[in-house]
Amino acid sequence: MTAASVAGMPRYFGPHHALFGIYHAAATPRGALLLCPPLGQEMIRSQRTYRLLAQALAERGHAVLRFDYRGTGDSADAGGTPSWASCCADIGTAAQELRNACGLDTVSAFGARLGANLAMAAVDSARLDSVMALDPVCDGAQFVADMDALQSRLLLDGNRFLQPRRDMEPHAEWVGFSPGLLRDELSRIRWQLGAALRFQIDSTPPARTDATPACSTVSVAQPIPWMNLDAQEDVIIAHDIVQAVIAHVASRAA
Amino acid sequence: MSESAHRFGRARHLVGIVGMPRTPAATVGVLVLNAGLVQRIGPFRLHVGLTRHLNACGYATLRFDLSGLGDSSVDGKPSTREEQVRADADDAMQLLAAQAGCTRFVLIGLCSGAAHAHALARSDPRIAGAVFLDGYAYPTAGFLLRHYLRKLSRTSPMGLLKALSRRLRPSVRKHDPVFEVGFPPRAEVTADLQDMLGRGQKLLFIYSGGASGYFNDARQFRECFGALARDPGVEVQYFAAADHTYVLGKDRATLTERVSRWTGRNFPL
Repeated sequence: MTAASVAGMPRYFGPHHALFGIYHAAATPRGALLLCPPLGQEMIRSQRTYRLLAQALAERGHAVLRFDYRGTGDSADAGGTPSWASCCADIGTAAQELRNACGLDTVSAFGARLGANLAMAAVDSARLDSVMALDPVCDGAQFVADMDALQSRLLLDGNRFLQPRRDMEPHAEWVGFSPGLLRDELSRIRWQLGAALRFQIDSTPPARTDATPACSTVSVAQPIPWMNLDAQEDVIIAHDIVQAVIAHVASRAA
Repeated sequence: MSESAHRFGRARHLVGIVGMPRTPAATVGVLVLNAGLVQRIGPFRLHVGLTRHLNACGYATLRFDLSGLGDSSVDGKPSTREEQVRADADDAMQLLAAQAGCTRFVLIGLCSGAAHAHALARSDPRIAGAVFLDGYAYPTAGFLLRHYLRKLSRTSPMGLLKALSRRLRPSVRKHDPVFEVGFPPRAEVTADLQDMLGRGQKLLFIYSGGASGYFNDARQFRECFGALARDPGVEVQYFAAADHTYVLGKDRATLTERVSRWTGRNFPL
């Protein structure tokens, strides 16, 4: 494999070439992994960890595709903000793109935060074999309340604005992004444990212990400050997460 | 408008998105540089909205990751960061020239991106203009006066007494860190700007309220840089309500409109 193929080849794919992704090839792939990103600012903060994970997996012989849902990242803005259904459909499109690129039919997925929830929701429609999750959103209503509270504090943050932004509707955005349709959709979600969930990483204590017997869980020492107002523009570089996923993938292959 | 994804550069180590207008593009293309450590989409996706708006206005664009940032790796050759950035920008201009036929370029940079845009604009003859978002500026007497007057206006009489009392006590701090801005010497930046304007470059400076540690009024640019502030190639705007990274969609839309209008005025199709 060339350095460029491990580093990943950027491409647009799917209907109307609306989805952006980076494909990390493997010469004779041992497996295929789809990396499902979180949404909003959590996606921007996680980019470095996703890239490190994709490259590490590609170096170990796995074909990897990471991508952006429509209306996020470099993907096309398809009529406003993404919805739960559009994100799930995009996972299906991306999974098929990965199958076509690497020639394997069996695709596993990794997702952080809402990326994990979306991957689990798309298991059947996208024909995902298994899912690895990092800090999934367990209670959608609580997540919506937390994001609203975070945004309210952000608008009054004297370290960010010279004057409080009372001119803004407090819940119209969540840290730089409009939730749109997702607000109502997210308020109804709960973390679903299913047979496809094989590995869960909890960075936020206390560790959840409600996984199924088929699912192994690990906790990492350093909590990721997903909801910390002062950390909203910090890049997440989580080598321990990358190592944990690689170890799990290797153990499954063994 | 259409976009294409590219791995490019002297070592095929860079990743970027070329955006094309529907109609044949202007000969001036727009390059958007990384803001800090944020990938090419920009803080809160600012660069995506900005480049797509410029595409709709008729300009070809390239938003890309400099070496080591976002999805770009490094070329493996020993070099300083400034040399790397210069070589990356050269690769980017070659790509946009090949894709869209552009011969001259406008740079857009926020924060560290503005510093990189400055370094490139002073050395590359292909640069026709630059947009500096929270770029270089220096505290002046006027800045200090406005800074303390605003503080005073928000302070209660008791708070004022306490502040005065603190001022009268000997301080262990040599200076207030709020004024520490790690920029090149003012004389050097002034000379650079004079040189850029002398070569006909168009320069737009937009300072946000997030730069209030060193900039707090549009007049400060003239206080800082003197006569060159009156050069027709210079435009200065102060966007006090916005934060440094434009977290609010409304502010990003305003910024995008301002940059697009400036581009249209200075580089008509």
